[in-house]
Amino acid sequence: MNTRSTILAVMCALLMLTACAKPPTEQILAAEKAVTEAQQSGASTYVADEYAKVEGTLAALKKEVSDQDGKLALFRDYGKAEQLATTAKSEAERVKAGATKKKEEAKAAAVQAQQVAQEAVTATLALVAKAPTGKDRAALESIKADAEALKASLNQVQMAIDTADYPAAQTKAKAIQEKSQAVSREIETALAKIGKGKPSAAKKT
Amino acid sequence: MPGHCRRITSVLLGWGALALASSLTGCVEAAPQDAIEAVENIDRDLMELRAAEFSPNDYAQFAHQWMALKSRVQADEDLIRWPWEPNDLEIALRLLQEEGSHTVARLAKERESLRHSAENKIAQVEGRFRMMTLQVSAIDSRLVLGQKPVETDLLMKQAHAFYEQGQYDRSLDASDRAAQNLATQAVLLSNELGRYANRDRISHWQQMAKDTIAWSRIHRTSAIVVSKADRVLTLYRNGQKVLSYPVRLGFNGIREKRYQGDGATPEGRYQISSKRGQGQTQYYRALVLDYPNEEDRRRYRLERKTGEIPASRAIGGQIEIHGVENELMAQTLGCIMLDNSQMALLFDRVNKGTPVTIVGALHEQNSVAQTLAMLGVQREET
Repeated sequence: MNTRSTILAVMCALLMLTACAKPPTEQILAAEKAVTEAQQSGASTYVADEYAKVEGTLAALKKEVSDQDGKLALFRDYGKAEQLATTAKSEAERVKAGATKKKEEAKAAAVQAQQVAQEAVTATLALVAKAPTGKDRAALESIKADAEALKASLNQVQMAIDTADYPAAQTKAKAIQEKSQAVSREIETALAKIGKGKPSAAKKT
Repeated sequence: MPGHCRRITSVLLGWGALALASSLTGCVEAAPQDAIEAVENIDRDLMELRAAEFSPNDYAQFAHQWMALKSRVQADEDLIRWPWEPNDLEIALRLLQEEGSHTVARLAKERESLRHSAENKIAQVEGRFRMMTLQVSAIDSRLVLGQKPVETDLLMKQAHAFYEQGQYDRSLDASDRAAQNLATQAVLLSNELGRYANRDRISHWQQMAKDTIAWSRIHRTSAIVVSKADRVLTLYRNGQKVLSYPVRLGFNGIREKRYQGDGATPEGRYQISSKRGQGQTQYYRALVLDYPNEEDRRRYRLERKTGEIPASRAIGGQIEIHGVENELMAQTLGCIMLDNSQMALLFDRVNKGTPVTIVGALHEQNSVAQTLAMLGVQREET
């Protein structure tokens, strides 16, 4: 009788334990939060493949929970779901860190390229300002228009940085720098030529 | 007894063999290593193709399936199977491998096609940009385009940079924007210089030139006609052509003069108001015109009134036909410039009061009209 009671008690305890298996809600929420934060950090842009895998793990987690939810309470086991939630969270955090690092690197590269472009444009505008007034200036008019266009284009670099489109900002800044250097060389050549002739007085026309 | 022992032995051996066979077949791996590696290789191929960036939906679909299977691979219960159980995991892995291979092949093809399109677009737009630059330079109309040529240049540099980075879609986008910019330039040129292709306007200019030549014939004296599109100055005497010289115009000479400092060369009927010989001008010799005439003043007043000319801008003056001060000068601020030897010949053949008619063009097939037609055709092609 004693033995029977013990077996019954153990069976009841086991039944209660298994019947009370519940999904790891907190871990799932924590994983979802980590994935959202990774997405917000720019992971889908800067570490797109890794982010897609994290999303895949989250989807697997949701499916696992759904599969377990569909079973009879007695047979539910959320152990695998718990494991997936832990993996999804830790992977999402790693991906977020990677994305943040890459984004910062891209921003730094864009800002540096912007500074270099600004310096190049400033140098070009300084050369334009050196150009003589009067008749000889005519040859430099189109170059001056180019220099002004380069100055205006710097705004587009800033706009790209402001919208966090760092690849566009960097390529635009580099293009401005290259063009600015080319325009500077043109001005220097024009100035050298003009220097050979005598400067002329300003004249209305 | 020995027979009984043999039976026991054979029964034991039979059970042993069955146990061995069961343990051997029962421990078969549910996820064969080669199937896992094959899917991992597909993943690597997709990453090399930057599928997540260029075809996010395809990669997401693969990644979701791969992660689901990976979680099963890693789960203990799926590691072994009983021989009578179907190997769902292996089947799913093999299926993903097959689907993934197709995706890799398709994306590689699409990517190559995109690369090819980006390369072609760069070549196409650059060719058109070069052509436009040459054409625009040939008719001295660079300033008509303002900042547009630099914008196009920067966009093409970006298109190259994105192409080098393998960002073919962004490269195409930059090239497209450059092409749009070129189309805008063609429209700007057409709006600003369309009068050179306008039959009525050309007829009017032809009539102006005819009147000037007729005046020369009737008054048995000299008259000058300048065609801006052809950059030619022609001297008539008694209605007959005496000489014809190439000229250089203002740095914005192809435009109609509107105010001081615009670099444009005026169009209209003028007269030589004074002759400046050696020592009286910095430009070897100069024939000063009576710009602005009454028509110029009327137009200037109207445009000032409508706000088209800023209040700070004067109408300008001192438009001359002159020689060259500095041989390196390519353009003027709005005057008409001749080589000094030709200026010397012209200077001696005209007087104060000689009419000077400056027109845009004298024939329909002028250089500006041809350039506009060519750019219009190219715009349709791009």
